[in-house]
Amino acid sequence: MSAMFTSSARMKAARIAAPIGAAAALLSTLTGCSTAATEAGAPAADAPVTAPVNANYTDGTFEADGAYQSPNGSENITVIVSLKDNIVTDVEVVTNPTNPTTASYQGQFSDGIGALVVGEDIDALDVTVVAGSSLTSQGFREALTVIKADALES
Amino acid sequence: MPSKVDVGPHATSFEAIGVPWRIGVHDETTPTASLGGPLDDNDREAVLQRIEQFDRDWSRFRSDSLISRIAREAGSWTLPADAAPLLTLYERLHALTDARLSPLVGSSLERLGYDAAYRLTPAGDALPAPRWADTIALRDTGEGLVLDTVAPVLLDVGAAGKGYLVDLVGDLLASRGVTETLVDASGDVRVRGERSIRVALENPLDRSKAVGVAELRNAALCASALNRRAWGAGLHHIIDAVTGRPVAEGIIATWAIAESALIADGVATALFLVDPAHLSAHFDCEWVRLSSDGRLEASPGFDGELFA
Repeated sequence: MSAMFTSSARMKAARIAAPIGAAAALLSTLTGCSTAATEAGAPAADAPVTAPVNANYTDGTFEADGAYQSPNGSENITVIVSLKDNIVTDVEVVTNPTNPTTASYQGQFSDGIGALVVGEDIDALDVTVVAGSSLTSQGFREALTVIKADALES
Repeated sequence: MPSKVDVGPHATSFEAIGVPWRIGVHDETTPTASLGGPLDDNDREAVLQRIEQFDRDWSRFRSDSLISRIAREAGSWTLPADAAPLLTLYERLHALTDARLSPLVGSSLERLGYDAAYRLTPAGDALPAPRWADTIALRDTGEGLVLDTVAPVLLDVGAAGKGYLVDLVGDLLASRGVTETLVDASGDVRVRGERSIRVALENPLDRSKAVGVAELRNAALCASALNRRAWGAGLHHIIDAVTGRPVAEGIIATWAIAESALIADGVATALFLVDPAHLSAHFDCEWVRLSSDGRLEASPGFDGELFA
């Protein structure tokens, strides 16, 4: 599996501390998947794909793969999440493009993680409305759901 | 933060055309944190009917819409009375972007998987939009605008349609005597009257954060972001009509401020496709844009704060 982690495709996210749900929303913006699949050998292959929201998670590092169909064929990404005390302390997205065009698109979205550091808490601002977007993509949510299920304390 | 007792009665809220809407009626004493008070039942019903009519005309997601009929057969189609401002704006943006922004991207979006069934799986190579001049023509007749098509064509007014509907809803309320309103259609906002509001510019990568705050008075602000309707890496709803592919040039979110939500929405979309200075030269607008590397830029006249 390490062969996939080429230096050019590997991207390290800015360190963040956020509840798991918020991290899911962030991650879903990076790259989504129209069909998610857990590959053989991934730690959560047989785990249930649903998890209660207010659950305790085991500290550690977890990863899952997401696959999707791009116009260039099948592509996949690997998401690695580190948890400590139910907080996401680190997020890493490894893109594994098989096509140069996909590499370009994935790079664009992966690079976007750097912008996580921009901004102030909306809750602390005296504003009337919020203008932005919210839709999350299903495939990435599925990949992250697998991670959450794997991290659930039994 | 203002205390919750300051905000007064709750605004009207409902879900329509797939997004949450909120409409508040206010005066200059309405607190910043408040949307204003609710519509009365008759006004609310009139607004819902107006939105339903727009959806029945312009939605490519329902088979009984005018857009869907135009997609099934060629012909001469009498367009609804609200068509002229929308298609006039599209003509201007089409010219300013060298045809990269076009209402003819419906089939390109379907090819990429963003179809009425939400298949969300590309069905082959990217499909460039048909060329405007080869495919459609607009005729102004005594009975309104007529669209002539040489072949079935799937229109998509997503670049400016929702903003335009925000204008139309406010126009309707004004015609019923409700003139001081805030209409928020999930990213597209217009405030009318003497009140100033503050609009948080949501970080598309972290919805709990704002990258800035805009001050808005008697104007509209529309937001667009690549993650809004995204269904895969590089697969999202902002399409370059020339290539049929989603744009991929490093801009991940835009905000535009103009006198109408129609213009603000169209400009917010066009900011993904052309140099902002090019748009500023042709529209009375202010803008903010966020790049994938975290760079945040605003027009010189932007009224508000940036947290970069």
